[in-house]
Amino acid sequence: MMELFLVTVGCFLAVVGFAVLVETPGKYLLQAGFAGACGGGVYFFGMQKGLDTVPACFLSALVISLLAHIFARIFKAPVTVFLIAGILPTVPGAGMYRAVYYIITDDRARSSYYLIQTLEIAGVIALAVFIVDAVFRIKIPRRQEKDRS
Amino acid sequence: MDDKSIANMAVLAGEIMLRSGAETYRVEDTIKHILDTAGTAETESLVMLTGIIVTIDRPGQEAVTVMRRVHERGTNMHRIVEVNEISRKYCARELSAEETWEKLKRIKGKQYTVWMYNLATILVPAGFAPLFGGGLREILAAGGAGIVLAVLMTIGKRVKTSAFILNILCAVGVAVAAVLLKLWNPLLNMDTVIISGIMPLVPGVAITNAIRDTLRGDYISGGARALEAFVTAAAIAIGVGVGMALTTVFWQGGGL
Repeated sequence: MMELFLVTVGCFLAVVGFAVLVETPGKYLLQAGFAGACGGGVYFFGMQKGLDTVPACFLSALVISLLAHIFARIFKAPVTVFLIAGILPTVPGAGMYRAVYYIITDDRARSSYYLIQTLEIAGVIALAVFIVDAVFRIKIPRRQEKDRS
Repeated sequence: MDDKSIANMAVLAGEIMLRSGAETYRVEDTIKHILDTAGTAETESLVMLTGIIVTIDRPGQEAVTVMRRVHERGTNMHRIVEVNEISRKYCARELSAEETWEKLKRIKGKQYTVWMYNLATILVPAGFAPLFGGGLREILAAGGAGIVLAVLMTIGKRVKTSAFILNILCAVGVAVAAVLLKLWNPLLNMDTVIISGIMPLVPGVAITNAIRDTLRGDYISGGARALEAFVTAAAIAIGVGVGMALTTVFWQGGGL
């Protein structure tokens, strides 16, 4: 429990930091951090409960893109603003680095394991982003029609 | 405003967004909205990762076409949000064309001080250390790697090297810092420190945008961004590898 708390707080701070690096306007920093913290927390919780990395990443990406879309609707800002910084805990940076690390240490079996895992995670993130995108795109025309009528 | 000015305005808005790392379909949407608000009959916009083409065609007149090549791209959410707000107001006719042009011209790039960026660069690795299984020791070490990274990035921005070289140099810095810290304190989990340290460099923006562009059917831009992500990833990996190999050669016992 203590670890989960530490991870969530760490992800919040890290995502806020990354949001500053990509010049997110000050008023959206905390929301982006919140989305990132939730994503990181879900990922770590899933791993603690014995989920594999790839499903854990899927759940985490799903939560993050859902939050990003909700925030975008509430605060009238593009989805990218919350999504780019928020998705960072899930993006397969670690797997990519390990793939190359094991190439250097001449361990091809582990290297290809991590390479394929990286591709899987990227695909799973794509799937999660796509699902949420599709769900929210169904809603948009209905709202506009209501506005017009 | 005549067609030419409106086309110029739409291209300016699109250029700012494309330079700031907006998704391609969003840029096309914004341009299309701006052109349609002006009441032009036949409008078309084609946006790729590297350029914009806009055409306005009125019946009985010669078509106006504006093309713009976009060379450098970064990520700047502030400018995307600003252009979004301005174009939204313009399309709701709260702003006149002239005011919109002025406002687009006046959008600023940076909004935080250099110290804020450096602090953020240190905060990202330190914050991610627990996620990759680090304790207090790793958090501090990752913060240390972050300081090295912040220094290198600040220098790199002054010197204006290409992004590829800068990524390699930054990754080398992180790897060297991690190996040296490991030598100083053998209990340290070097893996965690390096992975946390390279997080500010990881091409998360490019990967996310590549996915979103591809899923919207913009295959040229999606593919280009995926390649961009791969090149950045390769640069970081080369950098980490070189950094670890260098320290192994010069300080026996560290590294691999």
